[in-house]
Amino acid sequence: MGQLRLLMQVAFRNLFTSKINILIGGIIFFGTLLVVVGGALLDSMDSAMSRSIIGSVAGHLQVYSDDSKDELSLYGGMSGEPDLAVLDDFSRIKPVLEKHPNVKTVVPMGTSGALITSGNTVDLTLARLRDLYKKRAEEGESPALRANLDSVKSHVRQMVSLMEEQRNKSRELLSSAAVDPLEVEALARARTDAFWDTFEQDPFASLEFLENRIAPQLPDGDLLDMRYVGTDLDSFQRTFDRMEIVDGQPVPQGKRGMLLSKFYYENFLKLKTALRLDNIKQERDLNQKRIDTDPQLQRWVKENQTQPREILFQLDPIKTGQAVERLQKVLGSKEASLEKLLSEFLTTTDDNFDTRYQQFYAELAPLLELYRMRMGDNLTITAFTRTGYVQSINVKIYGTYQFKGLEKSAMAGVINLMDLMSFRELYGYLSPDRKAEIAELQKNSGLKAVDRANAEEALFGEESGNTLVAEATPGLIEDSKAFEGALGSLRRDDLASRVYSQQEIEQGVALSAAIILKDPEQLQQTMEELKQASTAAGLKLRVVSWQQAAGLIGQFVLMAKLVLYFAVFIIFIVALVIINNAMMMATLQRVREVGTMRAIGAQRSFILSMVLVETVLLGFVFGVGGALLGSGIMSALGSAGIPAGNEALYFFFSGPRLYPTLSAGNLIAAFVIVLLVSAISTLYPAFLATRVSPLQAMQTDE
Amino acid sequence: MNAAVAQSPIVSITNVTKDYTLGKVVVPALRGVDLQVHPGEFISIAGPSGSGKTTLLNLIGCVDTATSGVVSVAGQDTKQLTERQLTHLRLHTIGFIFQSFNLVSVLSVFQNVEFPLLLQRKLDKNQRKERVNQLLEQVGLAHHAKHRPNELSGGQRQRVAVARALVTRPQLVLADEPTANLDSVTGQHIIDLMKELNQKEGTTFIFSTHDAKVMNHANAVVRLADGKILDRLTPSEAKRALAVGAEGH
Repeated sequence: MGQLRLLMQVAFRNLFTSKINILIGGIIFFGTLLVVVGGALLDSMDSAMSRSIIGSVAGHLQVYSDDSKDELSLYGGMSGEPDLAVLDDFSRIKPVLEKHPNVKTVVPMGTSGALITSGNTVDLTLARLRDLYKKRAEEGESPALRANLDSVKSHVRQMVSLMEEQRNKSRELLSSAAVDPLEVEALARARTDAFWDTFEQDPFASLEFLENRIAPQLPDGDLLDMRYVGTDLDSFQRTFDRMEIVDGQPVPQGKRGMLLSKFYYENFLKLKTALRLDNIKQERDLNQKRIDTDPQLQRWVKENQTQPREILFQLDPIKTGQAVERLQKVLGSKEASLEKLLSEFLTTTDDNFDTRYQQFYAELAPLLELYRMRMGDNLTITAFTRTGYVQSINVKIYGTYQFKGLEKSAMAGVINLMDLMSFRELYGYLSPDRKAEIAELQKNSGLKAVDRANAEEALFGEESGNTLVAEATPGLIEDSKAFEGALGSLRRDDLASRVYSQQEIEQGVALSAAIILKDPEQLQQTMEELKQASTAAGLKLRVVSWQQAAGLIGQFVLMAKLVLYFAVFIIFIVALVIINNAMMMATLQRVREVGTMRAIGAQRSFILSMVLVETVLLGFVFGVGGALLGSGIMSALGSAGIPAGNEALYFFFSGPRLYPTLSAGNLIAAFVIVLLVSAISTLYPAFLATRVSPLQAMQTDE
Repeated sequence: MNAAVAQSPIVSITNVTKDYTLGKVVVPALRGVDLQVHPGEFISIAGPSGSGKTTLLNLIGCVDTATSGVVSVAGQDTKQLTERQLTHLRLHTIGFIFQSFNLVSVLSVFQNVEFPLLLQRKLDKNQRKERVNQLLEQVGLAHHAKHRPNELSGGQRQRVAVARALVTRPQLVLADEPTANLDSVTGQHIIDLMKELNQKEGTTFIFSTHDAKVMNHANAVVRLADGKILDRLTPSEAKRALAVGAEGH
């Protein structure tokens, strides 16, 4: 006891007498600080991100078919969409999973992507005109219809002249070889009064000319990449309670329909000029950027100045006139060209930006369609089915939604939601209705039904005629125009208004299912038990945690942690070397003292413990100091929160601010690391100290 | 004195040599030394520097081993002992007083004196306290128990060292030039103190010095030269011999 106390006393008093100790202490201090703060930050980010992932689509666990070639990756993988085998019948899987006492809900899902076209402005306007002429053919002409027809017609005429203007402009830039004389000729014809005077004689022929020869000349329609999750929308909304509807309404229970992500709606479907204004405003307000210093903002202003076409094409002559009037008033200008007025109006600077932004939304926006898609519109989605055929369906957009806290996260924001029925169709699998419909067609056309099991026999067996049948290659049937006509259109109306029962939704394919647990703490255990349960039930399922299911994103924090621990490792390796050297010097300085102790009768073991106790105490004192400061910093950050500087961080912070917390684990980890490092780095100097001969005590140094 | 001689010697050195190797050169420090020290003696080892005084003391103090010959301390042949056993022997049998005091600077006077007792682990806290205070009393530093060594004068420090050397009640105390770093008055006090303890406690003292006045206190002066013992004299003989030596210069 006495000895230990003496050792502690020697160690404690040596602590502050040696400059070397202060150096070592400093390293330990900052090392601990780094481990505590860095570790706590990453842990907090980890749990924030896990909340984001779990709360958006993943749930705690995901199950998918064990026959899948790739691993599930909900946010997209390294090389596009992962290749997953389907779960043939969700209704068979659900009860097996739900039997587990820790499973709260199971939500069927399928993630896929498609290209959608936003439509060419000319095409859209021509379609409107065609509809009006059709209406006139059916109902006869009324004054209101006439006025409407004239307005749209003049809008088309204005578009043509705008196109002509642009062509003339670009002629200076293009070589004559790049100009297609047929296009020039078509445009010239559409410009003539003669064309418009004779328009009414055969409106449909005239329209066809415009649709085929003029509309394609406007390279306007964007192809947009769209990711969507097909799911049981009701169950999804109940399960993921961070989800909220922003515009429109939820898809009515059992109906087909889509909810676009608000983020996607804003960033991809909004009028580009308006989007750029929004972006500039956000950067200025949130990030204190300025137009005159920030190149990105300057680029946006420049694009707004030079690309007014999107607005010009949208406006018919009446609205064009209104827009000119309003802009003239706002700018105090007499300019008659809307293009020039817009360009001037959108030349925003730091001084006038806020006024212009407000004026844009007050004066111009009411004249414009701000979004390329409105709530209630039908969206045509074209996707490749699993078997490689092109599949196209119309889905009604009911509204937009967002996940609370993840409003600005591109990661969570790219996920659009779709009903499971539409998803299955796009994915190339037949719903019972479709099957029934095909059966009816087969009956009518005298084709035999061939199911998958005996398809080979039927197709190539002895008795097979040439009966290539629908079900074997569903994509072909789906895609073909064979159903055009009464049956086809009837079916389409049917589909949009049809209400599916829960049973219909659940009986069918899904790609994966999200599982929400009652007690997330038992995730690992539940995961194992579910694996066993599904194997026992004869289901070939893979059960993965949200982290694995999220793919690369899920690994992000793990990677960041690896980087941190690698940095800590390097720092401590350096610390190890420095402490080692410093302790060597300290030992050399104390050779006589150690020699004296040895001469007086101290065993080597005493000297060893003396040096070790000293280092461990050093590590302890400065480690506690670092940990205290670290805890202080963390509690300050914990109450103030760390703002997510850019939108990518929203996902990792699970909201606009991260409120980090410090766990006991962080502190313990820091402590263990620090004590280990200080003990290891002292082993050699301590060994050297034990080798000091008592003879050293006899040396006289004065 | 006769009684002391009658006891078996506490230090017995027989035909001891000690060589130091400096690179490829072998330097003989002791070349065949025989010496017997009996309990209760107060012996001074004298001789010019380089004569082997320190080497001889190191061998007696078990901090070094002889190249040949037998060094036996408290009846034990040091060659037969392991490092641990030698350390044990030093702790329990020998007290050391160093030329430059060698106190542990971060410990108080009390703690410095207590140090060997802690290593011994024989006494409990109160016994240790009593013993340390008793010794501090004896060396006249009872009021300085809480001071740090650097707050004391050289003489005071050496007195602390004396107390430390004697606190375990060793049979033998070795002092290598204990007065070399002290002025003559203080040095005299230290020698007086050692002598007093020698007489009171019967502790054997062996100290090296080249100060004639210090030698006066010894009851025998062993003169060394070139690694050999010249003679073993009484103080008065030594005084005369030194006087002759001085004339010879």
